[in-house]
Amino acid sequence: MTVASTFTRRRRTAQGAREGTPPARRAAQIELSAVTKRFVTPSGSMFTALRDVDLAISAGKFCAVVGPTGCGKSTTLTMVAGLDRPSAGSVRVGGQAVGGITAGTGFMFQADALMPWKTVLGNVALGPMFRGVPKKDAQSQARDWVRRVGLAGFEDHHPHQLSGGMRKRVSLAAALINEPSILLMDEPFGALDVQTKAIMSNELLALWEQARPSVIFVTHDLEEAIALADQVVVMTAGPGTVKAVYDIGLPRPRGAVQEIRFESRFLELHHQIWESLREEVERAYTRTAQGGRS
Amino acid sequence: MSEPTTATGLIGPAPVDDEAAVPAGARAAARRRRALMWAARLLTLVIVIGGWQLLTNAKIVDKFFWGQPSGIVSQLNDWLRHGTTYGPIWLQIWTTFKEAVLGFAFGVVAGVIVGVLLGQFRFFSEVLSPYIKVANAIPRIVLGSLFTVALGLGIAAKVSLAAVLVFFVVFFNAFQGVREVDRNLLNNARVLGASRRAITRHVVIPSALTWIIASLHVAFGLAIIGAIVGEFLGAQRGLGLVIANAQNNFNPDGVFAAMFIIAVLALTAEGLIGLLERRLLSWRPPSQAEAATT
Repeated sequence: MTVASTFTRRRRTAQGAREGTPPARRAAQIELSAVTKRFVTPSGSMFTALRDVDLAISAGKFCAVVGPTGCGKSTTLTMVAGLDRPSAGSVRVGGQAVGGITAGTGFMFQADALMPWKTVLGNVALGPMFRGVPKKDAQSQARDWVRRVGLAGFEDHHPHQLSGGMRKRVSLAAALINEPSILLMDEPFGALDVQTKAIMSNELLALWEQARPSVIFVTHDLEEAIALADQVVVMTAGPGTVKAVYDIGLPRPRGAVQEIRFESRFLELHHQIWESLREEVERAYTRTAQGGRS
Repeated sequence: MSEPTTATGLIGPAPVDDEAAVPAGARAAARRRRALMWAARLLTLVIVIGGWQLLTNAKIVDKFFWGQPSGIVSQLNDWLRHGTTYGPIWLQIWTTFKEAVLGFAFGVVAGVIVGVLLGQFRFFSEVLSPYIKVANAIPRIVLGSLFTVALGLGIAAKVSLAAVLVFFVVFFNAFQGVREVDRNLLNNARVLGASRRAITRHVVIPSALTWIIASLHVAFGLAIIGAIVGEFLGAQRGLGLVIANAQNNFNPDGVFAAMFIIAVLALTAEGLIGLLERRLLSWRPPSQAEAATT
């Protein structure tokens, strides 16, 4: 599907025509320095989710974060979004320290975060509505985005009437409609079957190529990470910290993610990163296995 | 997938070769099943009412204490033609209905407002929670005596009692509904830039609505109980007064006849609430139970 092909032209006319629409934000740099996050469990003990995380993502880069389950990948995202605060260290987006919700953030959650009582159109229109755009304008923007993610004709459906892949498209449109400067994605396609995941990945790339916000894409699928990203970050088993950062030099536009995984450069990178990731996965696994036994 | 079991215990319709005959066969089977169900329902009614009539006729059960269906019918007939001791029967019905509806309305509005507010402000809810528990443990019907003394024999005392009974049920549901709002939805709205008010309006209230509406079914029954008990305790008209009078005159048929009228009232209200529910919660996927009956 080439839903993003007419994106640039449409956006230009849209900007001139609509009042109350903020100018498209520039992609922002994301910097985490010495970020530590501790939680106090209900039983009173302390749990360190992240320790001394240093990470910098330049403006407009697509960064994928991989790591074993429970290594604090999602926690990192919530702190960049400003939904949570680090216990120590600092998070900066576009040079500004994060305090409160980070302006210009698009967030795609792991689970569906669609309002089940709103239609597809109503869900996508939430972003502009919350920003104070009049309902009519918000809906026409939403209609545009619904079409852009290939769901024209489904505007009046409720989320429960859609397939998992279609719900992800709605989430994607809802996250992108505010033209975010940073896009945070928490295993967005984790629950999809392999074919749908590939289709969604391609569409994500096509849409991203047009606006180029900075992206942090959390996943535990290494192939997905390499196929999509400019930069792959491997995190250690909890407490999570950055183990290694790999630059993925694959040319853009990437084309179909299903095909890129057979290229020799891709296989080389996969092999190299997997060596690093495997240790952490094994460590995390032994730990949970022991925890289960004791 | 649960196979629909027919009344005869067979699993689905018998196998047929002709595919075109399948839908027609299924329709015929459904029709037969419905006819059988209604016949069984009618039979149940005949057995219960007829048994009662026969047992009292045969003097096995004393109709002086337990009434008799034919006596109840003639009592209703008498009320319709000649009115009750306190004026036309319609006036009694209207009085009780008005008290119940007003009490219901006040109780629901107060319950929703307080529930939604307390549900969102954790500190206040913690401060008030022991008092709420105590208030809930008190048999609130006793408040009727207080209201009768303070507010007199008019409509105000009954409306107050009905409102108090309704308030607590709706309040607890609204409160719980607000506490159960999906955190993902809240975070999503926050990232999209929603203000506190927008979150309440677009996320919290629609989400709590499922709980609130579920409580309305019980609440209207309680409103009627409040009105009737209020009338027992002292009134100049109303169905409760009619029942109290029948009791004092050793007239069980009068009690049953009034009970029958109240049941019709309650069922009508239940139907209206059902309509409201279907309208407000039309976004919900049909539940298993509903899908089975349609």
